[in-house]
Amino acid sequence: MMRLRHNLTLRYSLVMAACLAVLSAVAYHEFVREPRLFQAAKVADQTEYEWFEAAEVAVFASMPVIFCFGWWFIQRALRPIDDLVSSVEHFHAGNLQHRSARSFNLDEVDRLATAFNAMACRIEQSFQQIQAFTLDASHELKTPLTIMRAQIETLLESDPLSALQRESLHSTLEEIERLARIVDGLTLLMKADAGLVPLRREPIAFDELVSESAEDAAVLALPLEVAVEIPRCDPALILGDRHRLRQLLLNLIDNATKYNRPAGSVTISLTAIDRTAELRITNTGPGVAPELAERVFTRFVRGDHSRSDGVEGSGLGLAICKWIVEAHDGTILMTPAPDRTTVTVRLPLSVPEPARNGDGQKAKLP
Amino acid sequence: MVCKPSVSPKIADMRVLVVEDDRKTAGFIQKALKAEGFAVDVMPSGADGLRALETTPFDAAVLDIMLPGRDGLSIVRQLRQAGSTLPILLLSARGDVNERVEGLDAGADDYMSKPFALAELIARVRALGRRTGEAKSNTLRVADLSLDIISRQALRGSRSIALSDREFRLLEYLMRAPGRICSRMMIIEKVWNYDFDPGSNVVDVYIRKLREKVDADADTKLLHTVRGVGYTLRAP
Repeated sequence: MMRLRHNLTLRYSLVMAACLAVLSAVAYHEFVREPRLFQAAKVADQTEYEWFEAAEVAVFASMPVIFCFGWWFIQRALRPIDDLVSSVEHFHAGNLQHRSARSFNLDEVDRLATAFNAMACRIEQSFQQIQAFTLDASHELKTPLTIMRAQIETLLESDPLSALQRESLHSTLEEIERLARIVDGLTLLMKADAGLVPLRREPIAFDELVSESAEDAAVLALPLEVAVEIPRCDPALILGDRHRLRQLLLNLIDNATKYNRPAGSVTISLTAIDRTAELRITNTGPGVAPELAERVFTRFVRGDHSRSDGVEGSGLGLAICKWIVEAHDGTILMTPAPDRTTVTVRLPLSVPEPARNGDGQKAKLP
Repeated sequence: MVCKPSVSPKIADMRVLVVEDDRKTAGFIQKALKAEGFAVDVMPSGADGLRALETTPFDAAVLDIMLPGRDGLSIVRQLRQAGSTLPILLLSARGDVNERVEGLDAGADDYMSKPFALAELIARVRALGRRTGEAKSNTLRVADLSLDIISRQALRGSRSIALSDREFRLLEYLMRAPGRICSRMMIIEKVWNYDFDPGSNVVDVYIRKLREKVDADADTKLLHTVRGVGYTLRAP
């Protein structure tokens, strides 16, 4: 890779070499040719010729010195740019404190460093604000919920309660739970938007996660009389975050079970072809309207049946799924049909090359 | 038959420190724990909490993560650096996987996100008190039920029990601390390794299956339901 420093040193050396060549030519002409022409009549002046030899040796010996000096000199001149480049490279969501060192000589590079530092400061502040805001919002919203929940639980233990009162208190408890899930989901997505949710990248046997989740889904589907089938489950190694991938599978399978018809089915298949793992979850049941299919991954947008059927949810499940999939460089798609819905998730398989720039990577929404 | 006295510290002797800045929350936690027979002290800030922990011998601590002055995580880190083995339960307003992992990495024994059920809190504080001295042997025994955790063989009396992987892990978890009341969420975390509530009755279904295998034709039942909380496995 050609660095600026190599480039400058090379040019500087070429210019120096050219100067030396011209200088040598002039010296040759002045001290060797002219005396020779002059000598046609006279005897050779030995001292003039010796002087030329000494000059030649000095000139060629100074070449490496000039080269080394130039190398050092240009390195010094370019150091501020080097520093600035490494500052920009090291500045990301996980390292917002990084600032560039200034030379204070007020040249272009120094001004650029000052501008970069000011920008880094503003970015750091806005990241801190998001971080603090999500934390405060979560705390301020959860505290009253915690108190409400405890009070309702205490009420439920007091004895003379009518069936209606009991039912209404239980229903309130469920709504408190739901509100808490919405708060969690919203704060997670806000932080993900800002790239503040760290994502692990470790080799994961995705097929094992899928079959485990399918096993749990089969248990969950029992009371709903929904059959869970897993006709194909290819071995699929992917680089990812185990917790997030389980969250993804659980959300998708839970949806497929909930929005289903009685005695319906959920079919899960995992295929690994051409460096892509493709997971398809198909359920029987009222599909979403085709015009809604793309928007269901948007926050708080829900399928038209989901509200009326009385199925509870936070309205954020699929938005979180979309974030998890995209943070793993994958795609998610919903294909509705009149009597069934298929969700397709494609994730890149882990390539055997160890040099993959994924460690400690931060997830970011598009 | 003579009942052997329990070796674990009695709940009534347990002194618990609650560090929580919200007065109402602190109030009902104190009330709920007192009703269970714990001795409870409450501190409103991290600095006060740390001072109390350094001067008074408590048996367990319930720490809120977000506290004025000094946050719960830094208190846990400082205590662990000083070599304290005090059982600590963290309470958090954030319900994210990362924070749970961070809390347990800092040295906390357990973590619970708000809003929580009081019964869940009590079950977890009780479990903290029992944490000392878990069985190290390869065979776990409760009454005539035994479980070899190497060969994964379960025996009730002389009857061999075939267990699936999940059933084995569930039984092992319950047998590790006989008599401990395990909430559904505690079981989900430890047996399923989920850090979030799948919001369903997976645990109940597996307990039902396990009960059929373990207690079905036995005169004495070992697996008990604790109403409103979860399950426990204990000798009669």
